[in-house]
Amino acid sequence: MKYFLISLTLLLFACASFPKKNNLESISGHTPTVINPYFSDLAMDYIYKAKINFADKSFGGIFVIKKMGPEHHRVVFTTEMGNKLFDFSFIKNEFRINFIPSEMNKKILINLLKRDLFVLINENPKILNQYRKMGDSIFLETKLKNNTYFYLTADERLHKILKTKGSKDKSSYIFAEIENDHAREIKIRHKNIKLTIDLKAI
Amino acid sequence: MRNLLFLAVLIAHTSLLFSQESNMNNTEIAEFKAKINETSKATITIQSNFTQYKHLDFLSNDITTQGKMAFKAPNMVKWEYTEPFKYSIIFKDDKLLINDSGSKSNMDLGNSALFKKINQLIVNSVKGNLFQDSDFTMSYFKSPDFYKVIFVPKDEKIKSYIASFILFFDKEQADVMEVKMVEPTNDYTRIVFEDRQINKPLDNEVFSN
Repeated sequence: MKYFLISLTLLLFACASFPKKNNLESISGHTPTVINPYFSDLAMDYIYKAKINFADKSFGGIFVIKKMGPEHHRVVFTTEMGNKLFDFSFIKNEFRINFIPSEMNKKILINLLKRDLFVLINENPKILNQYRKMGDSIFLETKLKNNTYFYLTADERLHKILKTKGSKDKSSYIFAEIENDHAREIKIRHKNIKLTIDLKAI
Repeated sequence: MRNLLFLAVLIAHTSLLFSQESNMNNTEIAEFKAKINETSKATITIQSNFTQYKHLDFLSNDITTQGKMAFKAPNMVKWEYTEPFKYSIIFKDDKLLINDSGSKSNMDLGNSALFKKINQLIVNSVKGNLFQDSDFTMSYFKSPDFYKVIFVPKDEKIKSYIASFILFFDKEQADVMEVKMVEPTNDYTRIVFEDRQINKPLDNEVFSN
């Protein structure tokens, strides 16, 4: 019985939400109008040199993101020599494959890329809760694909997105070298999947 | 009426200016091939700067990259991008050697069969045996400034990536001035060569990673 109670307590603790586990203080108040402004400019071509590692394979290339309209982004990845490796469209909740060569046409890879890119380009996820963290940043719990958290600095600048499962972090998206709403460096990391994406603006 | 006539003449004249490209006849094609053959036989090395324009219809501007290309007969080619990032890819003995800003690898999924084919196409056009390549349907054009050959792949798989390769040749030397790879969607990659140096000594070391 004692062990049962201990294991139940442990289970409850393990199931605790991410903010609870991290002792975050819930706050209410102002939130920025655009939470993720990094791919929000219709006039801008967002071009990055990319390194994608998946399992034991490595793809170098050029990563292109363009906002085409409200809740509409086009994401293209080409080799350095210009040949397309994928071309996706995100229109509201719809995902469209415009082009993918047969070598890349693997469901698992497409789903991983789709999930990551969706998090990356989403400008205004629905906010469920707001927390204060370490005194210097705002922390937003959002409804974007369940438990996804947006970390903002005190001046309301997004610097990290964290996707979690229960109390554990699953994936992180880090924005750095920010100049006028342009994140010149982006890193995507996963806890359990061997997929890393590194982007550097060119 | 006179104005209308003037306008008609003007339009005809303007369209003439823009349609300076015409089909080569059989004699011209034979002469052109012979010229390519002659040039390629005499070509042992090529070193050239290049500018690459990646055109995606939905972008406001083409993505421009620059670098150097080195070729050494019979079949070694190096593409070295220097701006706005450092990246090189060497085609040698059916292998691809990649150096991506210091991280080196020997094979890249994206740069496999198709790119070997593209590179083979460029190497072969330099060597002159391209025109025996049964993998493509070719059409030949001329203008006062260049010869142009359009290669349409016969293989359906290659066609799904690249609808056509267009090579522009210099009229004097029959050197490749520009390569354009057009995708089925009409997006394209244009590589323009500049400051070409022929048969300048080139060490084999250049083609190692």
